Amino acid sequence: MAVSVNGTTGVNIGTSGATLTFPDSSTQNTAATGFGFKNRIINGAMVIDQRNAGASVTLASGGTYTIDRWQGYEDTDGVMTAQQNSSAPTGFINSLKLTTTTADSSLASTQFALVQQKIEGLNIADLGWGTASAATVALSFWVRSSLTGTFGGSLRNSAQDRSYPFTFTISVADTWEQKTVTIAGDTSGTWLTTNGIGIHVAFGLGVGSTYSGTAGAWAAAQYFSATGATSVIGTLNATFYITGVQLEKGSTATSFDYRPYGAELALCQRYYQLITAHLAQTTSYPYSCGTIKRAAPAVTSSAGNLSLAGITPSVDTFWARDTVAAGVYSIYISAEL
Amino acid sequence: MYKLISVISGAGLVQRLSDKAFIPFAEDNTDYQAYLAWLAEGNTPLPVDEQGVQQ
Repeated sequence: MAVSVNGTTGVNIGTSGATLTFPDSSTQNTAATGFGFKNRIINGAMVIDQRNAGASVTLASGGTYTIDRWQGYEDTDGVMTAQQNSSAPTGFINSLKLTTTTADSSLASTQFALVQQKIEGLNIADLGWGTASAATVALSFWVRSSLTGTFGGSLRNSAQDRSYPFTFTISVADTWEQKTVTIAGDTSGTWLTTNGIGIHVAFGLGVGSTYSGTAGAWAAAQYFSATGATSVIGTLNATFYITGVQLEKGSTATSFDYRPYGAELALCQRYYQLITAHLAQTTSYPYSCGTIKRAAPAVTSSAGNLSLAGITPSVDTFWARDTVAAGVYSIYISAEL
Repeated sequence: MYKLISVISGAGLVQRLSDKAFIPFAEDNTDYQAYLAWLAEGNTPLPVDEQGVQQ
């Protein structure tokens, strides 16, 4: 059935605050951009933690995977830990908590701490970034910090020669607040649409001047955050919690794309998977990687005595035995970005 | 530090000794990319064992 108003097919709501009411009395006042799988971020609700099962990890300068798909970097004179946490706003059960355990209150220009997710290029191909028809995206997330002020982050391409620093304000300490950032797509630069890195989505936790840029504009530079943003690593025992992270196509942030747990886990397992398997000692047997991996994975085991029989793993299979003793082992399969 | 496990053309393996992870010679594997960067810094992996491919 079509609705015609003044000879035009369709219904137009152009008034601020207008609400569309359906026959079942449900309402909608924002445009839907999709009814599922609209979120390009994986594990945005911070519920999957295959590696650490809720344990705390200390971030390293070369990057440390915390909960699934989220990677923290700490390349300062301070120390920062990351851990899945049960503090969360209504509608969520987990968050990622970053804590400064040794402060660095005077960052050198090239020092930084951040947490980020690398979105695979295949999952952002429709955005058309790097072309004249680059689509606008909306980034939304919930944050809580012991600090208040202006915080920052950025979106970057794979080569890290295109960056969009952004800011958001935390007004009240230790209180969950939802933030939204609208970003016009980048019409320049190279944005991979392959199984490589499509977009880095980063939240700065203290970033030196070299990697900080002007908020709200694309730049041909490697910026992790916005100039003048609050440094979490700069204050001992400072905390920064984040959850409900969503990056979606369109200029309006919509409700969080809360996917079934099994679906979210499978999405994570394209990049990293923990399996438990019995390994023989003298004979290698083939094992499934589980979910098909993004790329041929690196493989190791809990005992560290794994042998792959000299056979390179594929995206779906590897051969293995334990060189010391047959038994049941945890096997870690990684094809992270 | 790394150790070569297999150097079969197009299907090699190297082991990262810090966590004993086996890393495939796959261009789109980021652990392999890190290995290549390590080589580019002038480092050399330990050789394949004398008996050839580690079984």
